[in-house]
Amino acid sequence: MSNVYIDQFPAEAKVIRAAFYSSFLALALGGVFGIIQTLHRTDFLRFMDSVDYYTVLTAHGVFLVISFTIFFLVGIFTWAVTTSLDRGLEDIRFTWGWYSLMAIGITMTGVAILAGFTDAIDMSASVLFTFYAPLQAHPLFYLGLVLFVVGTWVAGVDWFRSWWAWKAENPDERIPLPTFMVLTTMLMWYIATLGVAAAILLFLLPWSLGLIETVNPLLTRTLFWFFGHPVVYFWLMPAYMMWYVMLPKFSGGKLFSDPLARVVFVLFLILSVPTGIHHQYLDPGIAEGFKFIAMTNTMFLLLPSLLTAFTVVASMEHGARQRGGEGYFGWLKALPWRDPVFTGMALAGLMFAAAGFSGMINAGMNINYLVHNTFWVVGHFHLTVGTAVALTFMAVTYWFLPQVTGKALWSRSVALGQVVVWFVGMTFMSNAMHRAGLLGVPRRTAEPQYEGFEFQAAVGSIGELDAQIALGGVLLTISLGMFFANVVGTALNGRSDDLPANEYAGALSGPDDAPLVLDNLKLWTAIAVVLVIFAYTFPLLSIIDRGGLFGPEVIPFPLTVESATTLGFALETAASTSFESAGEIATSALTAVMR
Amino acid sequence: MNVHTYEKIWLVAAMVLIVAFIATITYGSVGLGIAMVGDQQPTIEPTELGDDERFGEPRVEQVGENEYEAYVVAQTFSYQPDPIEVPEDSQVTFYVTARDVIHSFSIAGTNVNTMAIPGEIAEMTVEFDEAGEYGIVCNEYCGPDHHNMEGKLHVVSADEFDLTDLSADGPDEVAVGDSVDVDVVVENRQLEDLETTVTLEIGDETVSEEVTVPGGDAVETTLSVDSSALGEGDHDWTVTVDDHDSSGSVTVLEELDDDADGGEDDE
Amino acid sequence: MSQATEESASEPSAETIREIGHDEYDPVGTFALIGLYFLILVFLWFFMYFVEFLGNDPTVVSGTAVVVALV
Repeated sequence: MSNVYIDQFPAEAKVIRAAFYSSFLALALGGVFGIIQTLHRTDFLRFMDSVDYYTVLTAHGVFLVISFTIFFLVGIFTWAVTTSLDRGLEDIRFTWGWYSLMAIGITMTGVAILAGFTDAIDMSASVLFTFYAPLQAHPLFYLGLVLFVVGTWVAGVDWFRSWWAWKAENPDERIPLPTFMVLTTMLMWYIATLGVAAAILLFLLPWSLGLIETVNPLLTRTLFWFFGHPVVYFWLMPAYMMWYVMLPKFSGGKLFSDPLARVVFVLFLILSVPTGIHHQYLDPGIAEGFKFIAMTNTMFLLLPSLLTAFTVVASMEHGARQRGGEGYFGWLKALPWRDPVFTGMALAGLMFAAAGFSGMINAGMNINYLVHNTFWVVGHFHLTVGTAVALTFMAVTYWFLPQVTGKALWSRSVALGQVVVWFVGMTFMSNAMHRAGLLGVPRRTAEPQYEGFEFQAAVGSIGELDAQIALGGVLLTISLGMFFANVVGTALNGRSDDLPANEYAGALSGPDDAPLVLDNLKLWTAIAVVLVIFAYTFPLLSIIDRGGLFGPEVIPFPLTVESATTLGFALETAASTSFESAGEIATSALTAVMR
Repeated sequence: MNVHTYEKIWLVAAMVLIVAFIATITYGSVGLGIAMVGDQQPTIEPTELGDDERFGEPRVEQVGENEYEAYVVAQTFSYQPDPIEVPEDSQVTFYVTARDVIHSFSIAGTNVNTMAIPGEIAEMTVEFDEAGEYGIVCNEYCGPDHHNMEGKLHVVSADEFDLTDLSADGPDEVAVGDSVDVDVVVENRQLEDLETTVTLEIGDETVSEEVTVPGGDAVETTLSVDSSALGEGDHDWTVTVDDHDSSGSVTVLEELDDDADGGEDDE
Repeated sequence: MSQATEESASEPSAETIREIGHDEYDPVGTFALIGLYFLILVFLWFFMYFVEFLGNDPTVVSGTAVVVALV
């Protein structure tokens, strides 16, 4: 029996394969929609109406940041828990249960989105990833998201069950680092998803079904961002996990500090959620003081990322020096740059250093007047989730796929080319997006220019920026093609007996150096909850007090193509209908409670 | 816990960086007076904007010597008013709300940028030192024609700027010999009195009148031309006040068919 | 136990020419790189705030503060 994952945990390997393939399907769809919209928006190749651009954009966003990332991460989390606890999952039927929930959920959501392309079905959900009310999607869209998120909740329960069972047998041992990272990430996710669960279950789903007449747009938007910022850490923390427990190994060294890795994940658990209002710096109806508090929390959230930068680079340096590297910068040459897994992760990390900077700008309260909702923001998250996360996931796929299939990687050279092409493509694309954003070019629009005025570029021109974005998009698409060639090629390979063992990196400063309190998950969860209560109670109460729980009278704006013309009529009729909702009663009750 | 000295130094440096960032932003807020869009304004019913004192008629108003207020409504897929016209060297407070879905009101190439949320009113005060033209974009996706949602902001020189509204109304038909009376209302939404000339041109005839419109008030006047001088037939007329004009036409008949149509033709 | 311990770190050992333990390792290269990163961050932050942002007039100001300034 070999030391390959599929031999150690054949049943779990099957689930992970299913999760990976689901993830790659989403990546392929998202990628196709990505290049379509890139070429449309930059005006290089157009074959659809600009109205359809937003359906494409919704599909691109949801498939990539919800299905691609999350399916992949439940795969590596399952690997991390089983490998580091050295035990299989408690009940594999339970595991297939949450996988099925996620798959059914995202299929429902995907169908609702894609139906927007055809008038034959009276269904659409071109509401983008943020689904801000009063834009209204088909109920299937919301219902699918709920099932998907519930699936991830149950997945968390699965991993916690493993840990509880392991703890009962190993009462005095430290939580192995990968499991620790999975558990803290999931605790953060449970807290974070409460926001989106409330937004959908209490408001948006009943509203789309016609059970309630109105919603408070600012309230559902705030609840979305309660979830919408921490979700980026849900994508990022698995990538961090890879940098901490895998990258040192591929560099030929060891993790510099296990205790600091734990500190970093605890900080993420505590600080990820009470920051969402920094997406709403320019929202009317939220007091400046609340925005300032959100900024302070956000800025301190830089700390775990800056610490990670040091620890991860130091771990790489350790590997390089063990491989004979010398000097202040000369050691960089001793790193295994021919290994696609290493190179992909290292380039992803380098991009994240740049993304860190644009993120610092985004975190700044008043500087948001410059960058909010501009192309700058799109440039930022194509560096974070689009590269730091996506490129890391693709790079580690070259190691994980053989582990869970038992088959050798189809081509290491294609893999190496793939990660480099991604890096180059994203450099062009995100650089141009950042620059265009500073000129005031908005995000989320189908057209490169407006009729009444032109964006003025101080350096270069809008045409040059569009060309860079299109070039970047083409390179990224080529890179994706190389990735899928490798995935398919590997899947078609025969079983190999010559695969590396299923191991993760050891640590120079191990878990025994970490204070015991770091493993006290109850304590950190409690602190996280308290911080969330501090950061969100007053803004939410204030929003409800001002606008009502169910908001003012708003007209649902279902995103079918016809609705634009019917809206004017709807406005007139709705204005004359009387309105007495439970919202007013609920609001007055709430106001009474507050007093 | 065993933390390497270099990493301790980095930890301190990171904290310094974070504090410096917060300090910079605070300096912008407190030192430079950059205010955030906040909760200064009460909420509003988006379906009842038509009856609202401020948003019923989206417009620019003068409220102080160099101070103006602009009431702006964002809706699928346009802004009201459009264009927005303000004078240079002025301080303009924008009040922005949305009629239907979430939009933004963002003046391209500037730091004037806010979300427009139905039910909420964004308040932003901006100083315009120089004349110029800006585009306004909606940078929040608001529906299928989102990419066509744009507006214009004209910052004009002080001499070109006014907040004058002119309306004129004349009879459709008059009998030869009767006078053509055009009722003119000149509204001055600026604070200073407006001294100007109202001119009526009809055919080859021109009549003028000097008027003084008090700030924030309106003046009504009637300019008359003897229809005999015009002769029978259709005549177009135009009333001009500064850069504003209003026009109509009158038919001079030999005899009116219908007395009721003439209305009050005596002074 | 699948964590690569010191004894079982077999995979990378093919290219490992020396073992460096915890106490004999000083990450000077990391320190140099991260110092460079720090300087870049500081420079870019000030550039973005004081040149790109404050140079992008007009900016939203608080109405009252300006009135005070005029008086």
